[in-house]
Amino acid sequence: MKKLLIVVVIMVALMGSVFAAGSKESSTGKSATITLMQNKPEIDGALKDYAKAWNGLTGNTVIVKSVGGSSSITLGQQLKADFAAGDMPDIFIIAGIEDYKEWEGIILDLSNEKWTGDTSVAFKKDGKVYGFPVAVEGWGMAYNADMLKKAGIDPKSLDNYSAYKSAFEKLDSMKVELGIDSVVSMAAGPEMGWVTAHHNFNSLLSNGLPYGDLSVVNQLLKGEVDAKRLSEYADWVELLFMFADKAVLTTGNYDSQVGAFATGKSVFLHQGNWVDPNMKSAGATFEMAFAPHGSMHTATDGIFVAAPSFYVINSKSENIEAAKQFLNDMVYTTEGQDFMVNKAGMIPAYGNVKLNPSGQLSKSVQMWAGEGKVYSWNQYNFTGDFRDLTLAPIYNQFANGSIDKAKFIELMTNALQGLK
Amino acid sequence: MKKQKNSSFIFWLFLAPVLFTFIMVIIIPFFMGIFYSFTNWSSSARANFTLQWIGFTNFRTSLGDPTFLYSFLITTLYTVLNVVVINATALILALVVTSKLKLRNIYRVGFFIPNLIGGLVLGYIWQFIFNNALPAIGNAIPLLSGLANPENLILSKVGSSVAALVIVGTWQYAGYIMMIYIAAIEGVPESLFEAATIDGANEFQKFLKITVPMVAQAFTITMFLTLVQSFKQFDVNVSLTAGGPSAMFRNTPLFGTELLSLNIYNTAFIKNMLAEGQARAVIFFAVLVVVSVVQVTINKKKEVEM
Repeated sequence: MKKLLIVVVIMVALMGSVFAAGSKESSTGKSATITLMQNKPEIDGALKDYAKAWNGLTGNTVIVKSVGGSSSITLGQQLKADFAAGDMPDIFIIAGIEDYKEWEGIILDLSNEKWTGDTSVAFKKDGKVYGFPVAVEGWGMAYNADMLKKAGIDPKSLDNYSAYKSAFEKLDSMKVELGIDSVVSMAAGPEMGWVTAHHNFNSLLSNGLPYGDLSVVNQLLKGEVDAKRLSEYADWVELLFMFADKAVLTTGNYDSQVGAFATGKSVFLHQGNWVDPNMKSAGATFEMAFAPHGSMHTATDGIFVAAPSFYVINSKSENIEAAKQFLNDMVYTTEGQDFMVNKAGMIPAYGNVKLNPSGQLSKSVQMWAGEGKVYSWNQYNFTGDFRDLTLAPIYNQFANGSIDKAKFIELMTNALQGLK
Repeated sequence: MKKQKNSSFIFWLFLAPVLFTFIMVIIIPFFMGIFYSFTNWSSSARANFTLQWIGFTNFRTSLGDPTFLYSFLITTLYTVLNVVVINATALILALVVTSKLKLRNIYRVGFFIPNLIGGLVLGYIWQFIFNNALPAIGNAIPLLSGLANPENLILSKVGSSVAALVIVGTWQYAGYIMMIYIAAIEGVPESLFEAATIDGANEFQKFLKITVPMVAQAFTITMFLTLVQSFKQFDVNVSLTAGGPSAMFRNTPLFGTELLSLNIYNTAFIKNMLAEGQARAVIFFAVLVVVSVVQVTINKKKEVEM
C-alpha cells in the first residue's frame, strides 16, 4: 500500500512537471511578443486592429487584453491575479498615484522617451516620467443644446449653483413641452459608484482651483474638512439628485443613464466625452456640449479635463525595447495616430498629433481645454477602497432618500475625518 | 495476491488524474490560503514590500469591521429564508410532478432548466425584470400602476432586495432540489400508501405520516445543499444587486445586500487587502463547516431506516 502511494505521488509530481514545462517556453527568435492589458473595452477592436498593423510594420506581435466596463470587474483585480501567477503583462494601465504605489516596484522609468517632449499630461513622480497618457478626457454637465434653446437658457450662464437651480426649475416646469422624464440623467446605484464617488466627488476636490492644485485634497487627506466648501457641494449633489429620474438614479446602470440623455428623455447628463460612441450608436443627432459643474456658489468657468489613465511598462519584462517602440509608434506613425483619434475616437494627448476626434462632446472638451478653462482630476489621490466602499454607499443612501442633506454632510465629514 | 496488486495499481492509475487536479486546485490552494491569511500578502509590487508573518492581525481587523459583521448577519438571514423557500417550493413541485398529472415530464424539464443557466446571466436577466419589465407592466396596466412608481422599485430597498435575491435563488435552485425529492418520493413503496388507504387515512395524513418520514434522507441532502449554496452565494449577488442598496449599520454606511462571498471579494480586490480577504474566507469556511455539521447531525436523527 505504501509503495503504491509513493508511485502515485511520483506520478503526480511527474504530471506537475509536464505542466511546468509548458509554461516556461522561452521566446526565441528576433521578433518579440508583448502583452498589453488595458481597461477600455470600447476601444478593444480598434486597438487590436492597430496591433495587427504594427505587426506588419515591425514584425513584433502585440497581444491585447481588455478588462473593464463595470465597477465589479476591473483591471486592478486581473493584474493582481496575473502578478500572483507570475504572468504580468509587458504594458499595463495605471490611473494615478494610488495605482502607481501598488506597482511601484515594477514600473519602468520612461523619462528618456521621445514622446515625453510632446505631451504635458504624462504621469510624473519626483520629476521622472513613468506613464504614457492614453488620451485626454473630460466631463462636465453634458447638455442638449436644442432643449436649452427651446427653454431660453443660455448654456454660458451655467457656471454656479444658483444658475443651475433656476435652470433646473424652469426645465422641470416644461417637462411635457420638452418631452422629458427628468431634467438630469444621473446615476447613483450600487454599480454606479464611479459616477458619484469618483467623478462627482471630484467637484469637491478641484472645482474652482488652479489646475494641479492639491490644497483641498491634502487638507482632506489630513482629515481637515472645509465645512463651507462641503456644504456648498452637498447643495449641488442634492440639486442633481432632486431633478434626476428616480428609477435611473437609484437602480439604473450606465446604459440606462446614458440612454435617457441620448433618446432625449433628459436635458443634462452627468458623464464625460467617452459617451460619444454611445451617442453615435443611439443615433443622437441633437447639438450637445459640456457646461461646468455648479458645485459652488461662486462661478467656476471650466470643466474637468485630464489624462484618465497611463500606459506603463513592466520593468521585469523581457521585451522592454519592443514595448517602448510600440508606445512611440502610437504617437509618431500615421497608423498610430489614425488609431488614437479616428478609430478609437480619443482626444490625443500629444501636441504633434493634428487630427481631431469627430464626437461632439470630445470636441467640446477640446474647446474648453483650448481655452485653458480646465480643472484637474484629483479623485485618484484617494484610494479605491475609500471611494468605492466608503463614499459610494453614502451617495447611494442620499439618492435613495434614506438620509437627508444634513446627515449626508455628517457622514461625509466623518468619512473624510477618518482618513487621518 | 499478484492479481490484487494489479487491480489496485489500476485503481490508483485511474484515480491519478483526478487526484492530481484535486491536489493542485483544492488541497494546495487551501493550505496556501490559510498560510497567506497570517501574512501581509497583497500580490502587488509596492516599494520595499516584504512578506511578513503578522499572526492574527487580519482576523482581528476582520472581526472588528462592521461591513464583515453586517455581511454575516445578512447572509444568515438570506440563508434561512432561502433554505425554507427553496425546500418548500421544491417539495411542492416534486409532489405536483409525481402525481398523475398530464405532461408531468415536460413540467419536470421546465422546472429544472433555470438551473442550467449561469448565475451571472440569471442575475442580469432578473435585474432587467425588476428594474425595467415590472415598471413597464405598471405603466401599461392602470391597476398595477404602483409598480411604475420608482419608490416601489424592488432593488431600491434593502428588504425587498434580499427578497429579490431569494426569489432568484429559488427560481434557479428549486428545480434541482425538486429532482432529489422526486427520486426520494418515487422510492417510497406503493404498498405503504395502499395499507394506509385501507386503514382510512386521508391524503394529508398519508403525506405527513408516510411521505415525510420516508423522504427524510433526502431532506438531509437537500438541506445541506441549499444551506451551503445559500451561504456561498456570489454570482447572483454580484449581477443582481451588486451589493446595493446601501444601509446603515453601527453608524457606518455600507452595502446592504453584500453577502459574505462578495464582502470577501471586495476586501481582497477593492480594498486591495488580499491577505485580509483570505482571513475572512478562513473564518467563513470554519463557520460553514460547523453549521453544516450541526445541520447534518440533526437531520440524520430524523431519518428512518426501512
